[in-house]
Amino acid sequence: MKIIKEALAGTLESSDLLVKVTPLPEDRVDVVIQSEVMHQFGEQIRQVVLATLQQLGLISGQVVIEDKGALDCAIRARVQAAILRGAAVDQLDWSKLS
Amino acid sequence: MKLRRSMLFLPGANAAMLSTAFVFKPDSIMFDLEDAVSLREKDAARLLVFHALQNPVYRDIETVVRINPLNTPFGLADLEAVVRAGVDIVRLPKTDSAADVHELEAEVERIEKACGREVGSTKLMAAIESASGVVNALSIATSSQRMIGIALAGFDYVMDMQTERGDGTELFYARCAVLHAARVAGIDAFDVVYSDVNDEEGFLKEVELIKKLGFNGKSLINPRQIELLHNAYAPTEEDVDYAHRVVAAAEKAEREGLGVVALNGKMIDAPIVNHAKRVLQKAQASGVRK
Amino acid sequence: MNDEFVFYTINPHKNWDEGAEIQRLLTLCDLDMDEGIETFVVGRQGRRLVACAGLDGDIVKCVATAPDLRGESLSLKLMGEVINLAVEQGHLHLFLFTHPSNVSFFGGCGFYELAEVPGYVTLMENTPVGIKRYSDQLRKLTQPGDKIGCIVMNANPFTFGHQYLVRLAASQCDWLHVFVVREDVSQFSYRDRYALVSAGVAGVPNLTLHHGSEYMVSRATFPDYFFKEKGMVGECCSAIDLILFRKYIAPALGITHRFVGTEPFCKTTRKYNDDMKQWLQVADSSAPAVTVVEVPRTVSSNIAISASEVRRLLRSGDMAKMPALVPRDTLNFLYSNYAT
Repeated sequence: MKIIKEALAGTLESSDLLVKVTPLPEDRVDVVIQSEVMHQFGEQIRQVVLATLQQLGLISGQVVIEDKGALDCAIRARVQAAILRGAAVDQLDWSKLS
Repeated sequence: MKLRRSMLFLPGANAAMLSTAFVFKPDSIMFDLEDAVSLREKDAARLLVFHALQNPVYRDIETVVRINPLNTPFGLADLEAVVRAGVDIVRLPKTDSAADVHELEAEVERIEKACGREVGSTKLMAAIESASGVVNALSIATSSQRMIGIALAGFDYVMDMQTERGDGTELFYARCAVLHAARVAGIDAFDVVYSDVNDEEGFLKEVELIKKLGFNGKSLINPRQIELLHNAYAPTEEDVDYAHRVVAAAEKAEREGLGVVALNGKMIDAPIVNHAKRVLQKAQASGVRK
Repeated sequence: MNDEFVFYTINPHKNWDEGAEIQRLLTLCDLDMDEGIETFVVGRQGRRLVACAGLDGDIVKCVATAPDLRGESLSLKLMGEVINLAVEQGHLHLFLFTHPSNVSFFGGCGFYELAEVPGYVTLMENTPVGIKRYSDQLRKLTQPGDKIGCIVMNANPFTFGHQYLVRLAASQCDWLHVFVVREDVSQFSYRDRYALVSAGVAGVPNLTLHHGSEYMVSRATFPDYFFKEKGMVGECCSAIDLILFRKYIAPALGITHRFVGTEPFCKTTRKYNDDMKQWLQVADSSAPAVTVVEVPRTVSSNIAISASEVRRLLRSGDMAKMPALVPRDTLNFLYSNYAT
């Protein structure tokens, strides 16, 4: 899956996160995470994000995340929503998203 | 016998509420993918609810999802997501007839088979929001083995009836019809939301009315209303005392193999015993009325 | 859990009444209305207008919330709406100017500081890595040498003056980086300007021609440049552009000298050149100074050659003097597009 257009998902509100995706000219995934709880949960957030991207099979795009202390389930949902929007995918295989 | 007094509505697009609502301990939590979600956020809300349903914090609370109607571009995708995510109950909005439920049920069964979920484990409830829905309430209530309840939704209904929300007179027939249908079908009946969250007095007045009519509970839009509702539904101390004695008598009769339950020399029928059990269940859930 | 704030989008020029309400809210918050804004997100609580934010292309402006409602949630919802609106309009990457005292607030909205004129203004962008990734890209184009020059030109259109400046600068440097201003608000389109520069600098061996970016002489870094008809030159705004250049672009490419033509006609450009010495050379900065080299204009038939003179001649339909002012490729372009 490749990001083919700029897209975002989520909000800046507490317990949520904003995910922005941008196409890259080459097959490379650039993940940038900012979080209010970075020093405490930074690694965990990164793990959840990377696992979610891998599950979707993302191979190209920049993913910038602005986390406001969201739960893992919200992180998964927002990352998926942004990627699917940016990759212009609307037929989902739900069994691959859990 | 599942207690369903409070069904808390949560906008499906709101990550913060989805992450914290379980702390309010309503009897059921209803994630809304329909009216509370803007068109722009339908896809994102579906994913949020999909993941929230799988979050362990919702393992011990009954989950309901109000999907979009199946005749919209969103309804079927909503259903695919929530059945797979393990939702307890799917709430169908704008139900006009039993055919609407049958259509939903067929899709639910297809998805259950596709994802390996036990067929029949996804329960259904129907929201009745139109004159036809009210007139067809009985056939809707009895349309499927999966049905656990029907709910009246006031906003669309009063428009369909060419009236508006007022003191409750406008809902009188609909409430009675929905309630009777539910009782005939042996399922739960839920009343409309009370939207003025600041009017505690008005809320309690409406709760008193629907409790008297016999509704199991109400759809709520603010967590503050949960405790008020539970307290209003809580039995009095005398109710609890009496119920204890009824249940004790029934247990004694069963132990002794007696066909008839008697208390203070009077015969007690099964409906009284069942009522007493419900009283104790409510008392156990939220104490006696304050 | 009623959402008590309702947000929607208006054009203040078409909705006079609401435009006036926005004006009142801005005044209350010590802000001025920017007439250029065609889209405002407004938030209402009941009938009362409690929040507004304007969107001018990729720049967020005129952000205000009612002073009695300054809680996190209203401002964050407002900014969330603006960000979504901008994406619908094709702008994921946004900029905003604010007073340095508001930087931490906008930090909470996902904006990051790019450059600050202390005490006056800060430019922010809504990504933590925008300028960083851009600098990384530039760094790959670094050329060896002790004296690395740079010219940023709008070239609207490319003249003998530009060509003279480029050749002179290239002859004095080990390598020369030329950037063409990317913003498409000039008479000649970016595509045409870039093509004419490209043709005009062909043959200079130690030169890299770069596409401009939003980080140099753009509406974001230097808005006044493109609003010169207002007759005002923003002190701070040219400073922001130059601070960015010194802090990020020059270090990325190892630029030691910036070349610029003297400007006899255009007040804005003249001011920019003066500011350049201040912010690239004189001002305190953690980044190394960049030496500004001002090159006097070449003169043809007793007039200093400039793009504004070319545009003036075009307007008056005077093509006869053109061959003295512009190189062959620009001349051909002007003939095929303007000669009647």
